[in-house]
Amino acid sequence: MTVSSRLSSDNKQMVISINERFDFSSHQQFRDAYNNEKLKGLTYILDLSKTEYMDSSALGMILLLKDHVHLYSGDLIISKPSATVRKILEIAQFQRLMTIE
Amino acid sequence: MPNSHKLALIVDDSKMQCKLLSVLLQEENYQVVVANDGASGVQMYIEHQPDLVLMDINMPIMDGFEATRRIKQLSGAGNLAPLIFITSMDNEQAFIESVEAGGDSILVRPFSPQVFKAKIKAIQRISDLVEQVKGLQQEQQNDAELAEKMMSGVIEARNYGLDKIGVIKKAATIFSGDIQLSALCPNGNIHVLLGDFTGHGLRSSIGAIPVTETFRAMTNKGFSILEIVSQLNKQLHTLLPGDLFFAASFACISDHERSAYIFNAGLPEGYLFNGEGEIKKQFSSSHPPLGILPQLLPDTQLEVVQIYSGDRLVFITDGIVEARNPEGELYGFPRFENAAIAGIKQNQLVNKVLNSLDDFCQHCEQEDDISLVDVPCSGWQKIEFNNKTSPEHLILNESLIDDEQTYLPTWSYHLHLTGKLLKTVNPIPLVMNQINDIEGAGEHWQSLYTILTELFVNALDHGVLQLNSSLKDSAEGFSQYFNERAKRLDNLPVNTINSPDNFVRITLEYFPLSHGGKMIINIKDSGKGFDIVDVMKRNNIAENDGIKLSGRGVELVNQLCDTLEYLEHGTSVTASYIWHD
Repeated sequence: MTVSSRLSSDNKQMVISINERFDFSSHQQFRDAYNNEKLKGLTYILDLSKTEYMDSSALGMILLLKDHVHLYSGDLIISKPSATVRKILEIAQFQRLMTIE
Repeated sequence: MPNSHKLALIVDDSKMQCKLLSVLLQEENYQVVVANDGASGVQMYIEHQPDLVLMDINMPIMDGFEATRRIKQLSGAGNLAPLIFITSMDNEQAFIESVEAGGDSILVRPFSPQVFKAKIKAIQRISDLVEQVKGLQQEQQNDAELAEKMMSGVIEARNYGLDKIGVIKKAATIFSGDIQLSALCPNGNIHVLLGDFTGHGLRSSIGAIPVTETFRAMTNKGFSILEIVSQLNKQLHTLLPGDLFFAASFACISDHERSAYIFNAGLPEGYLFNGEGEIKKQFSSSHPPLGILPQLLPDTQLEVVQIYSGDRLVFITDGIVEARNPEGELYGFPRFENAAIAGIKQNQLVNKVLNSLDDFCQHCEQEDDISLVDVPCSGWQKIEFNNKTSPEHLILNESLIDDEQTYLPTWSYHLHLTGKLLKTVNPIPLVMNQINDIEGAGEHWQSLYTILTELFVNALDHGVLQLNSSLKDSAEGFSQYFNERAKRLDNLPVNTINSPDNFVRITLEYFPLSHGGKMIINIKDSGKGFDIVDVMKRNNIAENDGIKLSGRGVELVNQLCDTLEYLEHGTSVTASYIWHD
């Protein structure tokens, strides 16, 4: 399983982690990780610390997640991307669309 | 699907068995052909191309395993004429061996007619599915090839300057999600685009058509590169689903202005090389890819660079630097840069990069589209300056000559822009549209476009915004100039009624001539004006030194116009432009 997600016990944070490759093959898993989560005002943390590779379709998937988060008035934080992944996010200037830490 | 016309081949040395199976198959609407040994079984398979093969194992001349191996080799992987082994050898070894030889199923005697028929039905069902998938695949392939042919016809074939612009385009599938566009502006500038839609294949190429149309139409009408970027972004945001977007780099190369305007939204760094292959500047992405945000970010700006003869702009998509070799290593920027530099020195950048990439990848499967554009910054055809008409073409319509009083324009046009509108509205395409609407399209409007653009920019920059063009004389001043310009534009007041402080007024008057026409252009601005004589003098001195970057605009206009006159301390300029058919 390359995509895993868990909701914090206080129902305030949803952490989605992606291992190894984040590309089109994880499309369905990634969607399933958040699609049924309808709680309002959640902070979504996309943990990319274990992601080794990311392609442009992954950027697209992050945008879909952002739409979902926006729909339920939550926040989206991209957490701990590796240097390679950070570079890809920066080329796409995603730091101007969402928080990356 | 009914089995009415299906053909079965039975390969069995027992005539009794053949007879029995034939009857059962005929009850299931099969036609039947029979062979009594493996070798003739293979022969019959070739001759009849059956839809189903029943194969015995122990036979003279050639056994069932060998015959099966040959048949399966003939039929190829994608082609499933299902083959069922019929045998009395009820042991594991026979089962394993029959599958390894290429059998699709095995039926062990004794079996009832019902079991046999059920088996045939089941295997036929699978075979029908395979057929269906194959058909769909073929159909998809045909559609994709047709669409690709049309797309590349629409997109690449109409690109401008293909003899000068070097292009690499290697699609990962039939369709490339990458597009390369080039088009000529009315004033002789070149617009270039290299873009990469998310993903690849047909899904990612859909956006290519609207992008191409908009890019071409707006370039044609004289819109600036930033206006085109902004429009494309808006359009793609409306058109594309949320996870599909367009990373792209844009350039406007102005040979006569010796400058290039660059914008990179989401592509890897672009390069400006000089003729010796040194990297003079790199352009990193400064904006999210297009189609994500409803509008461009408010601080969006183009990068402006000075260009010299021999300079080249090179844009790449991530497919190049992320190409992998069999060991999984990335091709990366250093390898690309070395190949590009070596290529420029030998004047064959595209070939050098391609060879280096091929050597590195060793026929590894290509994961993403690979593309590059290599655009020379100089050597573009200059717009022609031979518009000065000889006197015999200047005969006015006779009725006009007869009576001075009736020498009035057939139409005139005024556009008065104030305050913030000077930042947000580009009047030149508006004006050109009017002219085209009234007088029709024509080659001669190209020079008029240049005249209007240069005079308007001068009125705005040096009149309204009070920028000093001598800033542009040095490389540092050059970018300082454009930063300052953007700042002052931002500070223009929001429109107020009757505001006399900041305006530019464009007036056109059109006079038909017997073999052409004459346009009088007047541009008036709210600036303080300048000492005309002084500026002209400075320009002349600098022109002789050959180092001057500013003042080119007026010089160019002067060459294109019939007359050019600055009035009212330089706050008003009148140009007349005459052309003949």
